[in-house]
Amino acid sequence: MIELKSVDKYFYKSQEREVHALRDINLTIQEGEFSVITGPSGCGKTTLLNTIGVLDTIDNGEIYLQNREIANLSSKEKTEIRLKEIGFVFQAYNLIPVLNVEENIGFIMRLQGYSQDTIKARVREIASLLQIEKQLGALPNFLSGGQQQRVAVARAVASKPKIILADEPTANLDSKNSTALMEMMHELNKKEGITILFSSHDDYVIKNARRTILLNDGEIIES
Amino acid sequence: MFKTILHLAYKNAFLRRSRAILLIVMIGVSMAIMITLEGLYDGMTVHMIEKTKRSDSGDISLFAKKYRIEGDIRFHINDADKKVSKLKNLTGVKEALWRIESSGLVQTARKSRPAKLIGIDLQAEEQFGKFSDFLQEGSLDFGKNGIFIGNELAKKLGVHLHSKLIFSMQDSKHQLQSVAFRIKAIIHTTNVSLDPQGLYIAREKLNQLLSLEKNSATQIALMSKHTDDAGLQKRIQQEFPNLNVQSFTELYPQLKETEQIFKKFNQISFFIVMSVIFVGILGVMYVSILDRVREFGILLSIGYSYRYIRLQVLFEAVVLGLLGYILGALLGWAFLEYLKNYGLDFRLFSDGLSMFGLDSTLYATIKTAYFSSTFIAIIVASMLSVILPLRKIKILKPIEVIRSIG
Repeated sequence: MIELKSVDKYFYKSQEREVHALRDINLTIQEGEFSVITGPSGCGKTTLLNTIGVLDTIDNGEIYLQNREIANLSSKEKTEIRLKEIGFVFQAYNLIPVLNVEENIGFIMRLQGYSQDTIKARVREIASLLQIEKQLGALPNFLSGGQQQRVAVARAVASKPKIILADEPTANLDSKNSTALMEMMHELNKKEGITILFSSHDDYVIKNARRTILLNDGEIIES
Repeated sequence: MFKTILHLAYKNAFLRRSRAILLIVMIGVSMAIMITLEGLYDGMTVHMIEKTKRSDSGDISLFAKKYRIEGDIRFHINDADKKVSKLKNLTGVKEALWRIESSGLVQTARKSRPAKLIGIDLQAEEQFGKFSDFLQEGSLDFGKNGIFIGNELAKKLGVHLHSKLIFSMQDSKHQLQSVAFRIKAIIHTTNVSLDPQGLYIAREKLNQLLSLEKNSATQIALMSKHTDDAGLQKRIQQEFPNLNVQSFTELYPQLKETEQIFKKFNQISFFIVMSVIFVGILGVMYVSILDRVREFGILLSIGYSYRYIRLQVLFEAVVLGLLGYILGALLGWAFLEYLKNYGLDFRLFSDGLSMFGLDSTLYATIKTAYFSSTFIAIIVASMLSVILPLRKIKILKPIEVIRSIG
């Protein structure tokens, strides 16, 4: 489903403070996988996730999403891919502050042109699965960290993307909420067949993933 | 999709409620002031022109050839009443009348001044230009030896109602005629060429004094049914090839110029106010967009394209502009409606205003154009105001925002 071939990524390229963030990454993620990218802080987990999600550019190599090379697309095409193929769960939730929970969850579906009724039904279904149906009318600022993270997950899965990229989704959650979130993600992976790729150094997340990709200093050590 | 963008735009437009309301009030008040000024300027010129037409030229005037150059009553129009009847039957002519006029000298016991004695028919003048509107003092009845006098001339001569005066002129046979009159009415037309030198008596009487035929005229004036009826002047000229047919603008070019000057004033104030509105919306949109760089970065990262952001921001600016427009249109309409009915009292400056042919009370006019032109200008200003701030978003990379959030 996702294939990275000899991917290199530099920060501050050709400058004194140049950082080789990703080194010759070769990685294949199969459809329906539940994987975690792990490694010490600054090893390149988020960068790898961002390059797969075509948020960040690469300096060398190729990235394929369902056999389509996506790294060299125009920014308009990349936006289209982010909208239609990928669901993001950010560490800082990144919800839209002026929209309530219901509108936030249904936002991507709206952009994709689903009917109002379909969106409403899907939002209710996901909200019930993630136990946030009582918060549907609330604005993100009035929710706890755990609730916001669940809304972010709900937004990412509502439109049934092919893959969900979650950057340290449990980093701001307590153990109880982390457990709940992981259980939900497992359920979504099973029920919806969505490919899930985390970045995390949370032991609980690592233990619960079916595959662990270990990164160190921008290189894959173990996959 | 469109609905979602509109929804986001609306929510964001009022995210900072007090800022949005201040902008709307600023647009509304500026626009109302501008519309009021436009209406007042237009009202001043319209009243000036309209009163000049009613008291003198009409839309078109006919003179005997050479009369306008020589100013001699030998060059008069014969059978004026028949010509007036003929004119009234022409398509496009609303009203017509004839007048006889003679230049001469008006005297009191102490003062004398050059003046013009105009022979009029009160009934015809009433139908033509509602002459009774011009009555400042006295009554519109000539009686046996009655005369009406322009208010400025009365002031200069130091005469009042019932004062006696003598008018001396040369008749058509070059004989000097001096006639004594008693002032029956003081007339205030605001026409700068009539009020300081106009005297009015019955036109049959003036013809008699000038030893002219009963229906002799120096001027035939007519009102057209449609303003700017350029074809009418041509048709009249063809109908009366021996007469000199002149339009209002040919007779009063200075008034046309005044109208142009006021139009320029209007354009200048329109430009200034629109610039202020433009800068206002630009400032608010700029700050609002810079405030939300993070939000735009998030939107871009989840697949909301720059195209949608552009549309959203455009909607936000247009929504604010439109609300400001609605407020401005309502306030402006209310001001104009008041000024149209009650006017703006400038009695303190009446002398200065009358020098320009203006009443001491200035009335406004209301034209649809005030509202349509400002509507277009505000929409354009709103749209233009987002160009600069949007450039910031166009170069925004969502990954930078995501990184900055952590």
